[in-house]
Amino acid sequence: MYRYDEFDAAFVAGRTAQFADQVKRRLSGELSEDQFRPLRLMNGLYLQLHAYMLRIAVPYGTLSSRQMRKLGHIARTYDRGYGHFTTRQNIQFNWPKLKDIPVILEELASVEMHAIQTSGNCIRNVTTDQFAGAAADEIIDPRPVAEIIRQWSSLHPEFSYLPRKFKIAMTGSPNDRAAIRFHDIGLQAATNAAGDIGWEVWVGGGLGRTPMIAKLINAFVPNEHLLAYLESIMRVYNRYGRRDNKYKARIKILVHEEGLESIKGQVEAEFAEVRGGVLTLPQEELDRITAYFAPPDFADRAGETVDVAYQSIIDPAYGRWLDNNLHPHKQPGYASVTISLKPVGGAPGDATDTQIDVVADLAEKYSYDELRVTHEQNLVLPHVAVSDLRAVYDVLVAHELAEGNNNLITDMICCPGLDFCALANARSIPIAQEISHKFASPERQKDIGDLKIKISGCINACGHHHVGHIGILGVEKKGGELYQITLGGDATEGASVGKIIGPGFEADQVPDAIEKLVDFYIAQRTGSEETFLDAYRRLGEAPFKEALYGNA
Amino acid sequence: MPKSNLASAPVAHEKLKALGILALNGMFDEMDAVSVLRYAINDVLPGDLAIVSSFGADSAVLLHMVAQVDPSLPVYFLETGKHFAETLAYVETLKKTLGLLNVHAIHPNSDDVKRFDPNGDLWETDPDSCCHIRKTEPLEPITEQYGGWVTGRKRYQTSERGVLPHFELTSDDRIKVNPLAYFSDADVTEYRQAHNLPEHPLYAKGYKSIGCAPCTSIVAEGEDPRAGRWRGLNKKECGIHYDFNGAIASPMTAAARHTLWKEGAFIADPFKPWSEGTRPADARYVHVPVSEFIANRADYLASPHPLGLLVSPGDNIETLVDDLARFASIAIAFPSFTDGRGYSSARLLVERFKYAGEIRAVGDVLQDQIPHMLRCGFNALVVTHEPTREALVEHRLPEMALFYQPVGLTEVPMGTRPFLRRVS
Repeated sequence: MYRYDEFDAAFVAGRTAQFADQVKRRLSGELSEDQFRPLRLMNGLYLQLHAYMLRIAVPYGTLSSRQMRKLGHIARTYDRGYGHFTTRQNIQFNWPKLKDIPVILEELASVEMHAIQTSGNCIRNVTTDQFAGAAADEIIDPRPVAEIIRQWSSLHPEFSYLPRKFKIAMTGSPNDRAAIRFHDIGLQAATNAAGDIGWEVWVGGGLGRTPMIAKLINAFVPNEHLLAYLESIMRVYNRYGRRDNKYKARIKILVHEEGLESIKGQVEAEFAEVRGGVLTLPQEELDRITAYFAPPDFADRAGETVDVAYQSIIDPAYGRWLDNNLHPHKQPGYASVTISLKPVGGAPGDATDTQIDVVADLAEKYSYDELRVTHEQNLVLPHVAVSDLRAVYDVLVAHELAEGNNNLITDMICCPGLDFCALANARSIPIAQEISHKFASPERQKDIGDLKIKISGCINACGHHHVGHIGILGVEKKGGELYQITLGGDATEGASVGKIIGPGFEADQVPDAIEKLVDFYIAQRTGSEETFLDAYRRLGEAPFKEALYGNA
Repeated sequence: MPKSNLASAPVAHEKLKALGILALNGMFDEMDAVSVLRYAINDVLPGDLAIVSSFGADSAVLLHMVAQVDPSLPVYFLETGKHFAETLAYVETLKKTLGLLNVHAIHPNSDDVKRFDPNGDLWETDPDSCCHIRKTEPLEPITEQYGGWVTGRKRYQTSERGVLPHFELTSDDRIKVNPLAYFSDADVTEYRQAHNLPEHPLYAKGYKSIGCAPCTSIVAEGEDPRAGRWRGLNKKECGIHYDFNGAIASPMTAAARHTLWKEGAFIADPFKPWSEGTRPADARYVHVPVSEFIANRADYLASPHPLGLLVSPGDNIETLVDDLARFASIAIAFPSFTDGRGYSSARLLVERFKYAGEIRAVGDVLQDQIPHMLRCGFNALVVTHEPTREALVEHRLPEMALFYQPVGLTEVPMGTRPFLRRVS
């Protein structure tokens, strides 16, 4: 993975010192909260319902065990013993004190980490496929280019006060696990007629109160021109994105209101000016960065396999875990392991300091010192030898991290909701907990198969409810919390936005409502290979609506 | 208003700039005041030059020279209402004897006087403000009309004036002509005697530098001639002179209060705020809003006066590319520090349109955004936020020494990302 050189280290140290001074000025009163806000936001510091929240960047979701241990140390020392992994592949701490922030940032800098641009109206942390560099279905590892984008966008002087935040996601695989069509810019690896690898550029996707699927603005941008192309999009957005209404300020609204062709024309005109200029990325530089991401020195384990069916008989829980939590690796004899942060009754994405340390140890011992954070709020050991799976599993079991529910109904995305968030209208973690209790039975989960439930506690959609096969949105109604249910969302390459199918439910009715939908699906599906989403697409909204609300 | 032949002024002005101020200063013998004056009036700023005279103890010398070269050169006299009767009489005497044809008295705004000095004793409690309403304010609209000024300043007069040249180009692109720069007290006396010039009636009584009656006292033998001005107060200049940078030094907005930050220091700002309804022909030293410029483009392009352009967020500067070189300064507005459109405007001006003049940030200009502004090509800032100004004065900008992206025209320094370290 990428290692800081002297320049990167000095850059982060400089930024840390700069923010330490800004915190000092805030504490002394020299900076007003209004003036401090954009500065702290650009350093990942939010003011939440109860306390400050610090969001730490995990660039493209990749961590070393040393970095992971540092996160455990911070959770233990400066927070309440846990951290929360987010849908942007970052981690946030919910209880740090403002006066401790400079020290925390110094600690982070010591392991090549920072909180730069994890918030604020700037270019946020670039996210990728959690299996990047490991996935069998990958065209190219997107992380070298993600790292270059990280560098280019870090403290960009022109794009630090954009109309609104700006999120870039990329995937090197045709199977989109990074939700790139729901980002301001999505990049998907593509090959041109000559066989060169470059990027499809998608623009104007997003969730929030106006969910939009990104539109293809350029079918092939070669690596050497990618930064120039991105800068062209950013400039058009910075100049012409709406600033009169923060809810209409994302680039998706600009693209939607002006039309793709108009925006494309502006971007292409800008690109014509900057193309071939100083942002041209030389192949040597790409090679230099790519070398950091060279695959580990894998052993020849081609013959090694695990008999899942057999293991399922002698140890059903292990069997389930093998069945659900492994992803095919490009190297024979290896697998990528998803560590679920979705135990029944837990808060999705939370990990204790001890769990963080344990995962760090596993990464060091079994995954070439590397681990990943997924946008679905789980962790991944990307390179585990098949012969080590049992050993990894046993450690996970001992620390309540062995839930074999990846991609099943209890593997929910869930925002922090009203329990933490100043923006939320409704609780979301308790809803997730209740649903996971309802469907706790592993056999039942297996029977239901792939089903993504995503829960947001407000219209801002941090829980990605729009793209849940079943989405749950908490709203405030007459002083109480009410939950709307959407169906048919899809964050992958088959991108679709879920539709609200009827009136909302009280919190305690939500698990039953989900159950009705699930039971209807089970009854109607053509076979176990037809997923909930496929069945919904085949049957349409009406029968599901009827199943849920009756034939009124 | 006494004005003529404006059209030729910018040409000479350009010539002056092209020559360079040092070259011009080397053209004349140190003591050849009349040649300096003649060249200034006839060649440098024909029709665009004036003089402000106090009609004080040694004003006669310069006014005599003026009368030799061009008796119709506009001469302004600040009739503060606080002058010695002897001074007022002396104005008439000099007009007659020297044959000056174009002497104008400038009076303070009567509303200001009523408001700030109802009892006529402001000079006693707050001499700076007294000077301001009686001299600086009334003179301002006059100074705006000319491309340059003749002054009677001399190097010897006070330590602050020790390095005065014949010609100065001020920071606002005006020219100050100091024909007497190298004259000593004795030279003045000798010239006066040689040409038999009438003496100020108070000179013989011990007044060596004469201003308003309440603030002028007699200086002792050997004392600095100006020591008699504002005696006992820490005040050396009345406000109508120019500071070292050549901008008008007004006591109310003395160096500490300047809001224009440029080249590492706060300096006087030659530009004034744009006021709605200004006619194109009257505009000078203002930043004309883009929409106003477009609406009256021909008029502004025909104007010989120094102008700036005010670019607001949303303005499409691409449409003005051909006209950019006409502006001495471009102000980019930040209505709020969170509005980042100005960064793109600045980069386009510098990098794409090759605008090489002043680009100033105006509006909500705060310390923590300034490093970004400077990287994007701003070379001047108008700062009103107090902690920000302190940070600038104390060189405490939250600057990052390193950066990843190439921005602006300067070479990315060594040590930064190799692929970005390029010169085009």
